[in-house]
Amino acid sequence: MSALLEINNLHAGVDGTPILNGLSLAIQPGEVHAIMGPNGSGKSTLSYVLSGKDGYEVSNGDMLFDGRSLADMAPEERAIAGLFLAFQYPLEIPGVTNMTFLKTSLNAILRGRGEDEMDAASFLRLAREKSRGLGMNDDMLKRQLNVGFSGGEKKRNEILQMAMLEPKLAILDETDSGLDIDALKTVAEGVNALRAPDRGMLVITHYQRLLDFIKPDVVHVMAAGQIVKSGGPELALELEKSGYGEFVGETVNA
Amino acid sequence: MLDAQAYFDRVSGHLPGDAATRAASLAAAEKLGLPTRRQEAWHYTDLARLLGMAADDRIDAIDFSAIDPLMALFEGGKLVGKPAANGLTLQPFEAASAGDDAMRNYNAALAQDGLNVEIDGQLARPLLITTSGSNAMHLHHKIKLANGAKAVLVDNHMSAAYTNARFDIALGEGAELTLIRSQQAGHQVNLSQVELARAARFKSVALVSGGALARYEAQIKFKAEGAHAELHSAVLGRDKNHADFTYEIDHQAADTSSNTTAYNVLDYASRGVFQGKVIVRQDAQHVDAQMQTRAMMLSDGAEMDAKPELEIYADNVACAHGSAIGELDRDALFFLRARGLDEASARHLLVAGFIEQVLAHIDDTALADVLRGLLAQKITAQFADAEAA
Repeated sequence: MSALLEINNLHAGVDGTPILNGLSLAIQPGEVHAIMGPNGSGKSTLSYVLSGKDGYEVSNGDMLFDGRSLADMAPEERAIAGLFLAFQYPLEIPGVTNMTFLKTSLNAILRGRGEDEMDAASFLRLAREKSRGLGMNDDMLKRQLNVGFSGGEKKRNEILQMAMLEPKLAILDETDSGLDIDALKTVAEGVNALRAPDRGMLVITHYQRLLDFIKPDVVHVMAAGQIVKSGGPELALELEKSGYGEFVGETVNA
Repeated sequence: MLDAQAYFDRVSGHLPGDAATRAASLAAAEKLGLPTRRQEAWHYTDLARLLGMAADDRIDAIDFSAIDPLMALFEGGKLVGKPAANGLTLQPFEAASAGDDAMRNYNAALAQDGLNVEIDGQLARPLLITTSGSNAMHLHHKIKLANGAKAVLVDNHMSAAYTNARFDIALGEGAELTLIRSQQAGHQVNLSQVELARAARFKSVALVSGGALARYEAQIKFKAEGAHAELHSAVLGRDKNHADFTYEIDHQAADTSSNTTAYNVLDYASRGVFQGKVIVRQDAQHVDAQMQTRAMMLSDGAEMDAKPELEIYADNVACAHGSAIGELDRDALFFLRARGLDEASARHLLVAGFIEQVLAHIDDTALADVLRGLLAQKITAQFADAEAA
């Protein structure tokens, strides 16, 4: 079986500053990979380069998603192809209800795939079912997108979008940041419910804690824009004990 | 702008009311001349220049059937369709006497007609004033709500011709008036004077989606305690559209409150103006006055002028104003595109969401949906034209 995501020798940066320096990685369908690393190692840059944010330029190497080169695809084309980024800082969009947003998003993706849009009644049923599954009340669907949401609610809302859109590959960018332990558990349960044999996940995190709840198949350590070590789940535990000092080669930031 | 004297000479024989009074108003207007930028209230709106610009005549039909309105139809400056309902008393039009500024005097001299109406009790259906026609018109409306009366009024401007419109609004004790406005085209100078008695409530929500000139001036006077006024405006500007909301909100009584929001989305070389002056008189304690201006600039050629002003003589009040002018949020745009929306759809959703914060003040969902539909059409047309350009 060919890889769901294959990154080869990726060099990329923002505004001319190189951040990723020859990163390689392959995720097979059904696998959950975790990327850990110190601040500034390029973890979030990787998520933005993969999802196509303006200003992030690939200078060398390639990213193949389901056999297609991502570099020439617009962000919406990547989403339509089944790539999903759960944002570290979900945006607040006043004047647009969560419901309207979810419906516009889902239908844009269905249309992009040449499928029929979902009718209002089926959509409503689906949105209610998925949001209740994440312990969200119906009120959250009527509220303006992320406006006045707590950190936990925003992250839960990202997972709701993921559940609605059913991507082939989900990138979770520091989904644990800003969450207390209860919110973390809820979000992790939501993510685990979406693990599937044909779906891959790339979990980006600074702390090992999230990986107690979302068990990865492979753990990578990232430093200075490269994967410097890969291993099984035990690697995360090791890091928790020894820190990133070994990989950054200099003083360790606590 | 028409040659007022020649026009007056031609039509004065057909105008209602006393010809000599009208002639005096016209003389006063001509003597004062059109307001210029040297007058503070017109500082950002160069009336003579704007009246010389092409009208912007894109007018989309609006289907109001969902709100089943009472219709007051003005065609060419005359009331041709009269509303009738329980609690609504239609009075004959009365010409006004001369006022103290040029635009009011032109209106007094040249107004052919206006809706002169008194409302008692709760008006069951919204009252829709539609103004259409291709010739210049002067209208003078008088809307009076008796104590405890409640009504929704829609001022739907559907003309590309020059229009000088005046609304005199008097709200009795505990009366509640909602005034919804839409302008898509033309040149309009609109003055609303609103007086609120004890515990009266006034709310206006205006959507300007086009027009070479949309000038909405409001003078709000709180005459007694407990009254509340809200003025919300949304502008979707393109080409050289110019939209000016200029308010004087005069808290003459204690325990009164006002809330003003002005949201402008400005594209191409359009311009938005907001001037909000809040006066709190010495005896008007416990006044709460809030003002918010926000602008989303879609082009380097667009301009927003926001001038909030507080003039406070009482010592125990809560007054605040805020102003924020920015561009379309690039991060929000990326977020939406990462969720599958193409760039045009993402921009549309962000612009519509921005203006929705004004439309959300319309309590009648069906009525709000009518304006949402119009707005969606206008945004789609604007982006389609930008794409084609």
